[in-house]
Amino acid sequence: MIQLRQIEKTFFSKNQTLAALTDISLDIKTGEAFGVIGESGAGKSTLLRMINALETPDAGSVTVDGVDLTHLSKKDLRMEQKQIGMIFQQFNLLNNKTVAENIRLPLTLHNYDQTLTVDEVLDFVGLSDKKHSYPQQLSGGQKQRVGIARALITRPKLLLCDEPTSALDQNTTEDIVAVLKKAHREFKMTIVVVTHELPVIKALCTRAALMEYGKVRQIVDITRSEDKLTDRPYLERAIEVLTSD
Amino acid sequence: MTDSISIYIERIIEFAPRLLDSLWETGIMLFFAMLAAILLGIPVGTLLYLTADTRPMANRFVNRLLNILVNVIRSFPFLLLVVAMQPFVRQVYGRATGDPIAASFPMVVIAIALYARFVEQSLMEVPKGIIETAKSMGATNWQLVWKFLYVEARSSLVIGFTTAVISFVSYSTIMGVVGGGGIGDFAIRFGYQRYETDIMYTAIVLIIVLVEIFQWLGLALARKLDKR
Repeated sequence: MIQLRQIEKTFFSKNQTLAALTDISLDIKTGEAFGVIGESGAGKSTLLRMINALETPDAGSVTVDGVDLTHLSKKDLRMEQKQIGMIFQQFNLLNNKTVAENIRLPLTLHNYDQTLTVDEVLDFVGLSDKKHSYPQQLSGGQKQRVGIARALITRPKLLLCDEPTSALDQNTTEDIVAVLKKAHREFKMTIVVVTHELPVIKALCTRAALMEYGKVRQIVDITRSEDKLTDRPYLERAIEVLTSD
Repeated sequence: MTDSISIYIERIIEFAPRLLDSLWETGIMLFFAMLAAILLGIPVGTLLYLTADTRPMANRFVNRLLNILVNVIRSFPFLLLVVAMQPFVRQVYGRATGDPIAASFPMVVIAIALYARFVEQSLMEVPKGIIETAKSMGATNWQLVWKFLYVEARSSLVIGFTTAVISFVSYSTIMGVVGGGGIGDFAIRFGYQRYETDIMYTAIVLIIVLVEIFQWLGLALARKLDKR
């Protein structure tokens, strides 16, 4: 699905240069849930943004579904981007639009053959009652659900998640992970998740790249005892964590 | 006391036709200035924003050119701009003095430059994540502007427009020097030059009321549009 080959990227600012990515080569398979993990500054967000051409590499190639993104016209690039969904750490909803209007937004930019309806995706993320609310009236977790619904409505073949839970507390994080898992199961798209939160990758992904200083150090297969993902309330877990040694 | 009030009322009735004429002239000048601010100030301001470094249409040449134009016009003392534009207005419109339409030309120029700057500033307030989201969805620059930037900046755009219109009122009071008329000219001619102080203060109060109405309307609309 995704092939990265010898990606190099350097950022120049006024008084320094930063090698964001050095010699990155990576293969992500169709239908896979792939994680990218590392500390902040390791280059994982830059790596993710290469996959939908928000960043362009200085050298190397990015191929998605057989199409080399680094040699496309702007128009052709938009045609690729329309098939790739993305969710963000800060949700990036339009605050002056209702939940329904936000979710429908991608459909107003392009013609899509096969989409879901606003009601279907709202139901999927469990926010049917918030259809006519504005983002201002939602909690962080609810905002991210809207972000996911907005990404799902186009039936993307690929879903990119940039620190999807880093602005959320732990229980909300698990809710969002559960929604993403359900989306992966139901719609069978390829998912790439970038995060510094190990439990998110562990719960969601089957393989992960470990990044450090702009390089991929290792790619690991993730093993997990089947779904220990807990649904217990926050207080119960707080008591458990605080009272056990 | 009652005498002086009735005298004042009589004088107002006497001056009312000329007062209404001058309000009409102010209206014409404001109309053209507002129209220009919307039709040209918004595009110029949007281009200023989009062509700056690291923005979607980054273009150093266009950006610098627009910046210089806007700065030159805005730093021109308005009275001198009016005078300096006389030959141009005469060329285009046939006459440069004596009616509010001729007087609207410099108003239009300052309106575009002033509101363009406000528009640029409003767009700068839109979070960067919104632009990134638009790009990630494969939006064109046109879609980015209409479906993302203007949506999120709309209440700020209205507030900027209100501030701009209030400046237009102030600029319009100068237009008497080229015979453009208007309420400001009325206040100077009758109130200042003919020592009819009561008429001058009446005109000033009318200007203040006008400004208050614009301010109130602008804020009310901005508040209604703001869901953030």
